[in-house]
Amino acid sequence: MATRDYLFFLCATAALFILSGCVAKDPLPQGKVYPSTSINVPFISPRQDLCGSTSIQMVAQYWQANRNYSPKLSLQELDQRTLLPLKGGTLQVELVSTARANGLIAYPLEPNFDALLSELSAHHPVIVLINRSYSWYPMWHYIPVNGYDTTRKEFLTHFSDQPNEPIGIKTFAELWKRSEYWGVVLLPPGEIPASATSKKFLRSVYELEKVGMVEEAIRSYQSALMRWPEDSDIHFILGNSYSRVDRLSEAEESYRRFLLRNPNHPLALNNLALLLSKTGRKTEGLALLDNAVSKDPEVQKMLRETREEILKK
Amino acid sequence: MRMLYLLKKVIKGVNMQISKLIVSSVLSVTLFAQVSWGQIASTELVLGSPSAVSSEAKVSQFVAREDVAKAFEEMGVDPKTVELKLASLSDDEINSIASNIDTLPAGGDGGSIIGAIVFIFIVLLITDILGLTKVFNFTRSVR
Repeated sequence: MATRDYLFFLCATAALFILSGCVAKDPLPQGKVYPSTSINVPFISPRQDLCGSTSIQMVAQYWQANRNYSPKLSLQELDQRTLLPLKGGTLQVELVSTARANGLIAYPLEPNFDALLSELSAHHPVIVLINRSYSWYPMWHYIPVNGYDTTRKEFLTHFSDQPNEPIGIKTFAELWKRSEYWGVVLLPPGEIPASATSKKFLRSVYELEKVGMVEEAIRSYQSALMRWPEDSDIHFILGNSYSRVDRLSEAEESYRRFLLRNPNHPLALNNLALLLSKTGRKTEGLALLDNAVSKDPEVQKMLRETREEILKK
Repeated sequence: MRMLYLLKKVIKGVNMQISKLIVSSVLSVTLFAQVSWGQIASTELVLGSPSAVSSEAKVSQFVAREDVAKAFEEMGVDPKTVELKLASLSDDEINSIASNIDTLPAGGDGGSIIGAIVFIFIVLLITDILGLTKVFNFTRSVR
């Protein structure tokens, strides 16, 4: 009997140990007050293995109802793109790339509660990855977080088969910690994350531009310029995007604005020179190239080739 | 049966060829895009990302894409969808999953009931072995 008691004791201690590990301290940053929010994200019933697709669809429908945005993909297409049948789910990069293909900017959330609550306060729903179980038997799950209740200390989520399911902040913290606090903010073109930094945001927008949505990207760069007017790089980036879609006079203006602040920037001089030669101002373009100096051999090579190309025309 | 097996093997071979074809076509599209940009300095340079410019980098990028394509197919994705998936993933994203795709988390909900059953099974199995329960006939307690 002694062995049996001993085993019981062992199990009880183990259980206590595991459970006590769960009881987290208040995970919110100290000294900051976050308002209660409830974002009206449409609810879609869960389907097996497709929570990635469903999460994107819910957030996309929210933006469709509230902004000038229309999704590029149907629910069937979202399903097809997100599902890895034998894995029974969706990889994080796939969630991000599929959201992008749907015409949304996918901004990677800073892995902390401050960023999450800032986005919720700005009425931006956030998709987070959680592990519903322990790491030795993971059950990964994407959920849209669409609100926070300050008094009850609960997050509102479309967790499963009922809308706005509340999850206490301590439980939420445990589940979210297991994905290293992974989350993504999906936004329509023109909208900027509350927690964004300029470079990280521009990069997310450029990812959208790279898959061919140049006009959408331009709308976001323009918003970025309003938010971060001191970041002159945005003018250069806009110049490139305008040229890509043949909005040449706007491209020229953007490059010139950039050059006002960075008069000898070889890349901008190079691109403006090409644009000028394209619009019949060859001599002016070549004169610009004379001012372009760089120590980088790659850039030197590019400047040389540009000069040759302009002379050929 | 053997015929069936051979047929499967042939189909698999053809599939591999198709996936290679897809990868090379995707690659050629991206290269072409770079060519058509001419000498324009790309936004990439200002955003300060380590863009793949050297030929070695391009080759390793190619290999990484091929690896991911193969892994997707092994996970039951049909070749056409593999093409769609690859086209929307950036180089950085490809690199981040190429080597460890098997162990990465894939959020999928579902399976929770089966999961719970498996979980209970394992717990009871352990308690059986510890001699605290006797649920299964095939277990023998350590005591």
